[in-house]
Amino acid sequence: MKRPGSIFCGSSDHGLSRRAFLGTGAAATAGTFAADMTQLDAFKNEVVAGELKKQGKKVILLWLAGGASQFETWDPKPGRPTGGPFRAIQTASTGVQISELLPKMSQHMDKTAIIRSLNTRVGDHGGGAALMETGRKKDPGILYPDLGAVVARELGRADSQVPDYVSMYTSTEGRRKGTSGFLGSRYAPMFLAEKPIPENMRRLDTISDVDHQDRAELRSLLSKQFVQGRKSDTLGSHTSAYQRVRGLMASEQLFNIENEPDAVRARYGPRQFAQQCLVARRLVEAGVPFVKVARAWWDSHGQNFETHRELCADLDHAMSTLIDDLDERGLLKDTLIITLAEFGRTPTINASLGRDHFANAWSCSLTGTGIRGGVAYGKTDPDGHNVAEGEVGAGQLFATILEALGVDPEKEIFVGSRPIPLADFGCHAVKDVLI
Amino acid sequence: MTADPTQLKITTQINISGTALCVTRVPESGKLYFGGSDFKLYRVDSLSEKPTPTALAEKGHDSYVTGVALAGASLVSGGYDQRLIWWNQESGEQVKAVDAHDLWIRKVVASPDGSVVASVADDMHCKLWDAATGQLIHQLDDHKAETPHNYPSMLYAVTFSRDGKWLATGDKVGHIAVWDTESGRKIAELEAPKLYTWDPRQRRHSIGGLRSLAFSHDGRLLAAGGIGTIGNIDHLGGPSRVEIFDWQKGERVHEIEDDKYKGLVEQMQFSHDGKWFIAAGGDNGGFFSIYNTETGKLISQVKAPMHIHEFSVSEDSSSAFAVGHGKIALFELKSVRPDVPPAPETKA
Repeated sequence: MKRPGSIFCGSSDHGLSRRAFLGTGAAATAGTFAADMTQLDAFKNEVVAGELKKQGKKVILLWLAGGASQFETWDPKPGRPTGGPFRAIQTASTGVQISELLPKMSQHMDKTAIIRSLNTRVGDHGGGAALMETGRKKDPGILYPDLGAVVARELGRADSQVPDYVSMYTSTEGRRKGTSGFLGSRYAPMFLAEKPIPENMRRLDTISDVDHQDRAELRSLLSKQFVQGRKSDTLGSHTSAYQRVRGLMASEQLFNIENEPDAVRARYGPRQFAQQCLVARRLVEAGVPFVKVARAWWDSHGQNFETHRELCADLDHAMSTLIDDLDERGLLKDTLIITLAEFGRTPTINASLGRDHFANAWSCSLTGTGIRGGVAYGKTDPDGHNVAEGEVGAGQLFATILEALGVDPEKEIFVGSRPIPLADFGCHAVKDVLI
Repeated sequence: MTADPTQLKITTQINISGTALCVTRVPESGKLYFGGSDFKLYRVDSLSEKPTPTALAEKGHDSYVTGVALAGASLVSGGYDQRLIWWNQESGEQVKAVDAHDLWIRKVVASPDGSVVASVADDMHCKLWDAATGQLIHQLDDHKAETPHNYPSMLYAVTFSRDGKWLATGDKVGHIAVWDTESGRKIAELEAPKLYTWDPRQRRHSIGGLRSLAFSHDGRLLAAGGIGTIGNIDHLGGPSRVEIFDWQKGERVHEIEDDKYKGLVEQMQFSHDGKWFIAAGGDNGGFFSIYNTETGKLISQVKAPMHIHEFSVSEDSSSAFAVGHGKIALFELKSVRPDVPPAPETKA
């Protein structure tokens, strides 16, 4: 069934996809368009306009693994029994207050929208993470791709010499690699867990460049023979991933922050999370459409305030520095920074001054491209037990993110004959946080 | 009344709302002042027939009250709002408020003669105040603002020696400084790094810290309390830990860890005769433990009805008044035969 706004006729063979439109050499093609726009009726086409709109859009997801407390970040409740000891401070956006643990971010709220009314209901780490990574509940019949894979597919370029999806998660607790689901390995993340620079990326010294190319050609030949008579998107994705190997090998230096001037490195400072944010900036600057930086572990069942004193200092410095750096380089207008987790934390403060898992009324933030800065959308009740206004689910959040990037959330991908919209069925963007 | 640490028992529990984080006691009585998570300071006669806490004022601090001390006629409290407030004990009115620190105040104590009030805060300063006038006497600086892992440190603990001559301060990474209170000069440094757990791999943050300090009766020993190494730092699931120093020699005399009752040692106090000391605190629950000073062995121990944040011990060491999560609890350590002074026995 064709859905309103869909670009598909209903057949997976006839969709006007961005790749079909751009073909290879996307940058050059786009340049040609810009040079002679009057020749192109295609520009009157909404689809084409949309394709150009999302050119160069990127995402940096700051994943606050374990579940950061909304009370100690974006939705403080000072003076309430549930509020904890920290004050709320005024921000650069009149009327919007955040926790005093984020003083630097308070000065960047004119570029940032907060959603304070997430109600995602799933309060266990695995289930919550799966929901917030994919924007929808699990379906036993289908493996959904996560946000990074969807963005990689929608915003990545076929001819790109850099990865489409990089995921950094160095702490071991709650570590999740992410999944490209039914999109196949072409959109799987380059996953960095042990070291900041990808391992096994260089050609072995024992193999000459000629040998390396010969091996690739042999693999390609065998692969072509294998796929003959077989029709599978997964196989195509697999082959496509291999075709990009040599380009990816050349991107190793993007991960090395020692290539940055001392002043820039000093600005980000010595802590790992900030340094990973610097890598993320280098990656998006080079054209990587989706970078996830996971900062674990916010699971503060005991000593919530001490934990957030420490981790919020990390988030505050890294995020504000990243925003400034992107802004000064002219990249923020095309880059969306998201802070998100699997859930928030309970209003009730337990006996060891901790907060437990809580998914019924929590917060996230969106900064940069497509976002109306200075907005605090939605409201929780005075003690933060429930959403009072503007409830937002995981699917709506995904629709909002995609729309901020200029991607139609209702666009369908066909898995066999089954149309799957990019954001979950019936989920619409929160327009109030979008430009 | 003679104190006997082997006769430890809980006698009274008083329910309160929220979490009480600090307490001080009017000498020779059961009258307590305590404060905590509802930003208020309360008084209660814990030995009355129906103890009922009453707030001193509707409005006092703007955040958690984390320290309270009786210094002569002055009642002084401190909190996360970075202020010290002087209160009139009789009327319950504020006498004076001072913007004392640039970050959250963690503890407030008074010198034994009541002339000086000391406060420690996350700005990593210890400040000594004239209890009568509220004037700053000394600012004691030795504790680093950042941990070795480049995160904000915290200055949790402060205590006076019994003669008021010395003061000790302790921070998150287990660094201890001992000060001459008269001159404000640092006279010793000690390290208790096992009280700080940094998890570099699984969770990449820290937990613990040096939470309590106590001088022995003769001033020779200094006890430092907190929690030992923790595997899963999501919880206070590590052994409660005490280290005893002969601080002038720079020697660690005892390392005591208890796996039966886990959590932070939030406060310690030596008995009036110095033969034993109390260590109390908790995780989700609480503990009240008594150790032999000389051997470091456990004398007696009870599971507390709440995580204990602070306690006050009577002059003869026969009673302790503890506050914590949702409760005030009274502990008795009274000899069953007051005419026969007990000799502390130790458990292996």
